[in-house]
Amino acid sequence: MSIVQPIQINVALEVFEHWDSLGVEARANLLTRSARLLSENQASMATWQIDNAMRQISEPHTMPGPTGESNELSTRGRGVFLCTATDTTSEQVKVGLVGQVYAALIAGNTVITVGVEGQKLMDSLASVLPEHIVQNVADSAQDSIIAADHLAGVAAICDQNTAQDLNQKLSMKSGLISQLCEETDWQNLSTIAAPHYVLRFVTEQTVSTNTTAIGGNASLLALGSHEDQ
Amino acid sequence: MFNALEVLQPNFIQRPLNELWQRISPLYTVNEDQWLSQLLPLAQPTDTQLKTCTEAATHLIENVRKDDESTSMIDALLLEYSLDTKEGILLMCLAEALMRVPDKETADAFIKDRLSVADWASHAKNSDSFFVNASTWGLMLTGKVVTMNEKEDGRPANLVNRMVNRVSEPVIRKAMNQAMKIMGHQFVLGRSIHEALTRGQSYRDKGYTYSFDMLGEAALTSDDARKYLKSYEDAVESVGKDTDNKGHRPTISIKLSALHPRYEAGNEARVMTELFESVKGLIKKARALNVGITIDAEEADRLELSLRLFEKLYRDDAAKGWGLFGLVIQAYSKRALPVLTWLAALSKEQGDRIPVRLVKGAYWDSEIKLCQQKGLSGYPVYTRKESTDVSYLACAHFLLSEHTRQHIFPQFASHNAHTIATIYCLAEQLGAYNDEFEFQRLHGMGDALYNSLMKEHDVCVRIYAPVGSHKDLLPYLVRRLLENGANSSFVHRLVDATYPVADLVDHPVTTLKGRKTLHNPHIKLPIDLFENRKNSCGPNIEIESEWIPFKAKIDAFMGQRTQWRAFPIVGGLNSETSDTHIINSPYDHSQNTGRIDWANKNVVTCAIDKAEAAFPEWNTKPASERAMCLDKMADLMEENYPELMALCHREAGKTIQDSIDEVREAVDFCRYYAQEARNQFEHPTTFKNYQGESKTIRLKGRGIFACISPWNFPLAIFTGQVVAALVSGNTVICKPAEQTSLIAYRAVQMLHEAGIPSDVLHFLPGDGATVGAPLTQDKRIAGVAFTGSTGTAQLINRTLAARGVAPVPVIAETGGQNAMIIDSTSLPEQVVRDAVRSAFASSGQRCSALRVMFVQADIADRVIPMIKGAMKEQSVGLPYLHSTDVGPVIDKKAQDMLLEHIEHMRSVGKLIAQSDLPDVANNGTFVAPTAFEIESIDQLTDEKFGPILHVVRYQAHDLDNIIDTINRSGFGLTMGVHSRNETTCARIAQRARVGNLYINRDQVGAVVGVQPFGGQGLSGTGPKAGGPHYLQRFAIEQYI
Repeated sequence: MSIVQPIQINVALEVFEHWDSLGVEARANLLTRSARLLSENQASMATWQIDNAMRQISEPHTMPGPTGESNELSTRGRGVFLCTATDTTSEQVKVGLVGQVYAALIAGNTVITVGVEGQKLMDSLASVLPEHIVQNVADSAQDSIIAADHLAGVAAICDQNTAQDLNQKLSMKSGLISQLCEETDWQNLSTIAAPHYVLRFVTEQTVSTNTTAIGGNASLLALGSHEDQ
Repeated sequence: MFNALEVLQPNFIQRPLNELWQRISPLYTVNEDQWLSQLLPLAQPTDTQLKTCTEAATHLIENVRKDDESTSMIDALLLEYSLDTKEGILLMCLAEALMRVPDKETADAFIKDRLSVADWASHAKNSDSFFVNASTWGLMLTGKVVTMNEKEDGRPANLVNRMVNRVSEPVIRKAMNQAMKIMGHQFVLGRSIHEALTRGQSYRDKGYTYSFDMLGEAALTSDDARKYLKSYEDAVESVGKDTDNKGHRPTISIKLSALHPRYEAGNEARVMTELFESVKGLIKKARALNVGITIDAEEADRLELSLRLFEKLYRDDAAKGWGLFGLVIQAYSKRALPVLTWLAALSKEQGDRIPVRLVKGAYWDSEIKLCQQKGLSGYPVYTRKESTDVSYLACAHFLLSEHTRQHIFPQFASHNAHTIATIYCLAEQLGAYNDEFEFQRLHGMGDALYNSLMKEHDVCVRIYAPVGSHKDLLPYLVRRLLENGANSSFVHRLVDATYPVADLVDHPVTTLKGRKTLHNPHIKLPIDLFENRKNSCGPNIEIESEWIPFKAKIDAFMGQRTQWRAFPIVGGLNSETSDTHIINSPYDHSQNTGRIDWANKNVVTCAIDKAEAAFPEWNTKPASERAMCLDKMADLMEENYPELMALCHREAGKTIQDSIDEVREAVDFCRYYAQEARNQFEHPTTFKNYQGESKTIRLKGRGIFACISPWNFPLAIFTGQVVAALVSGNTVICKPAEQTSLIAYRAVQMLHEAGIPSDVLHFLPGDGATVGAPLTQDKRIAGVAFTGSTGTAQLINRTLAARGVAPVPVIAETGGQNAMIIDSTSLPEQVVRDAVRSAFASSGQRCSALRVMFVQADIADRVIPMIKGAMKEQSVGLPYLHSTDVGPVIDKKAQDMLLEHIEHMRSVGKLIAQSDLPDVANNGTFVAPTAFEIESIDQLTDEKFGPILHVVRYQAHDLDNIIDTINRSGFGLTMGVHSRNETTCARIAQRARVGNLYINRDQVGAVVGVQPFGGQGLSGTGPKAGGPHYLQRFAIEQYI
């Protein structure tokens, strides 16, 4: 049986490249503005995710190496993330949801949220972010998103069993290996609120440039002519 | 060590030739301080000599500066161009590429790119140098040097804005071409020898003579080599017809790399026959016409080969008795002096004087870079300018000595007034007559200097003059400018009237002795390239003294008598099973490498039990203790280099350089992850959480990691995964590829020897069914690191997910459909070299290998035939031979699949070329490198893991569509880009969904800790191996 690709995935993919290309700092500016619309705890979580990302992934990492080449490691968004929680009644889960969504967004992904809480979150973000960066689907549509091609991953706040179930569903898909970023400790959000969490939402790119392409190498000349000792 | 002073004894060169030869190669990367201590006494003047040569140099410089016309346009250009600044290089880059961009669209985009305000504004703070270059712009646009006034022109950025606004790109394009013609006119004596002879007449009337050099880069194809040979023959003929009998007869300089597409140590047999014949033909012609021939010096790797070829030619009847066949020696080479003694002895033996041009050397930057990349033991060149000057004078001392100069005719090429004056004084002091040596200078440089010298002394000065089209000028020009254009260079300072004469006449011996160290401490040795870890090392196989002893050690493991016997290792013990498999060499299936027992389900369970029990203790050890085992492992692999090399050859079919790179990568993984673990795991980190509370976390292991690795990097990827998991605190069960389990077995033995406890690491050879499945089905596996096919990665992921336990990390590195995009600003020679290496090295069996090359249609008809020609020069064969470029593919299954694809492509694509297969290919599984032209990447469904290249033409305006089609393949591993347009490069980098992007270089051979490696989408999950985020995925963040 072939599954019809949900429209939200295609829409999210269309806007992904632009959103991803803005860079962490530009996204941080937009997301910081949107965080003002959230409740205090949620806003703290949103701000924390933004700051954490600014510390960890905003600048390309210059790798050491031989003279005559430049090597830079930077991060990009992975694509489209579904951000969901099985039970959104608790305030803490809502904070966790904000953590997921902001981590996914700041990393450069576009996001699909789910249900009523997802809608609220989307509404607050929609006023600031470009169109379609965050979309929301009804609870009933969640499975079709999970099953869709090209979904980069799912961030879920859930219990162990649900996590296993989700993981199995994702693993059954063909194509790229969709990531599951699960949080099973919803009271403490020990995964979402940890510094490395944002790295689950990125893919890395190394750009290696031969800077001696025409035979010239300014850096070496500079080294060679040091005369101070 | 060589006692350098001994060369001054007349009997030194009476030693057997072979004995003198043996002294050359060991000095390749000799300790610089020790060797310079030997050379210094040879260059050391007495007080009287110092006084004499200082006075002579001062006199010369003062004369030059008095001369109003001393600042020629070239000197002015050198003065204006600060080539040790980025903007100077940018301008050269623009000029260089513009001359060969065929399509206006790309040319204009390129100009816009170079002129973009963002580019220049970043240099605005350095307004002095900016204005220097702004003046140069004036030069470029108007053909004359104009002075820019800061007051009138305002801020540099504004100036550029105005300039850009005033003139459109097409105008600049025309002006640039015009400017390059002007420069070409200055630097190139003529487009043909005839024109050069005509233009050179006025100098010859003044008493100068010439050595003509035909411009052009190294030949990549036989066609190019033939073309260059023809141009040399024509040059010899033209010079031969020269009837000007005044003074010394002009000569021709030849570059051997232009005359043979494979002028490399590995292809010695071809060099000593094919190239020998070409040069011999030239010598015969030249001798008949009485035109001297000088062989130019090139890279350090080619020195020994060039000398062997020179000897063969010199001893041949064609040259015997002639005395006008000479060569160039570079003083920056540590081997220069012993080479000169060998040449003197050679000449003494045969009786024909050898003309030797002594230069300082023009490839300094690439020599340094190459050594750093290869992890060599040191540098073949001196790291200080004054050391090269000392070496130059030491060599000159030997050359001008009475017992030498009857055998060698020295030709001193220099633009340094002090060097020239010192040589002249030295000649007088040693009693050399003016007809026993000559000076040489470059066309367009040092006019005033030598005019002044010739006014006062009757000495022969030869001008080295490039001949050829303006198009071929730039690479040459850049090398010359790099030699002389830096602010610190003598030429630069000579014409800078503000620079005190006294500072220009310092004797290099005095300068060098005044340094704290004789070597330059700013240029770290290759092994010290990284601040906090040792770089992996490797021998240079192009160098006799490095390669021959190393090869002998490998050979000890190459005979059939050496057979490896391997088993599963559980709890540190060999676990024999009855399931024994024989491993053959992929290049010759009749040759056995060894036998291995495969594990079974019971062995798997037993290993997991032990690993589970061992985890808590291992995980609580300090990370530094675990890291120490990795450092030890790295050292052990380097100690066992020869055996590991032999296994790479015999089990995996890897070529020599690939095998060295394999061991080096494994070593680098160990040292890099050890250091990362010390940084990230040793101490807890504290942070403020979202509620402002202080939290402390520590990275800890997850449990048992399964590491499943491929055959294409049987040591490097295998070791990399295993040590990453181990150092993060996990216990590990590793399953190597069935094809390459023997080397993995040895690696595990070494890891245990390095201190990894026997219960912490277990080795389970076998296939997916016997080991992979039971391993990944076990609920205790806490994570998997896998490298292999996308399909297997999905299968593993599914198996793990079906276990009914909490999800665990799957770190998968999988395949790619890697592209290279080439626009018309790129340099075709460089493109072809990089594309051939990217597509065919390692028989294309690298995840990163190039599969689809996109060539801008405007240059496709130039690039594609070059690829075809270069492919014809690829040598497919036994991987342990130095001459082999491409070895076998791993097994029959791979071969069948690849051959089937080739057959399919024959029907849907257009064959560009297929390399030849040797007879021995039938003994193993070889696939000839093959290239097809196709319409679109969409014609390819999946990755074909072998030496097959697909080429697609594209229109410049279609670039974005091309990127879209590449992205649509779903893979995203590597991509190569060849373009001089930084805007284009940045745009591709921004849009291409790939893990590793390589600009203006090949796209294989990522280095650990330098180019973290891994893809996205269908190509892998990340994080990147050999990168700062890798270990975190093997760990959990534990709150404390």
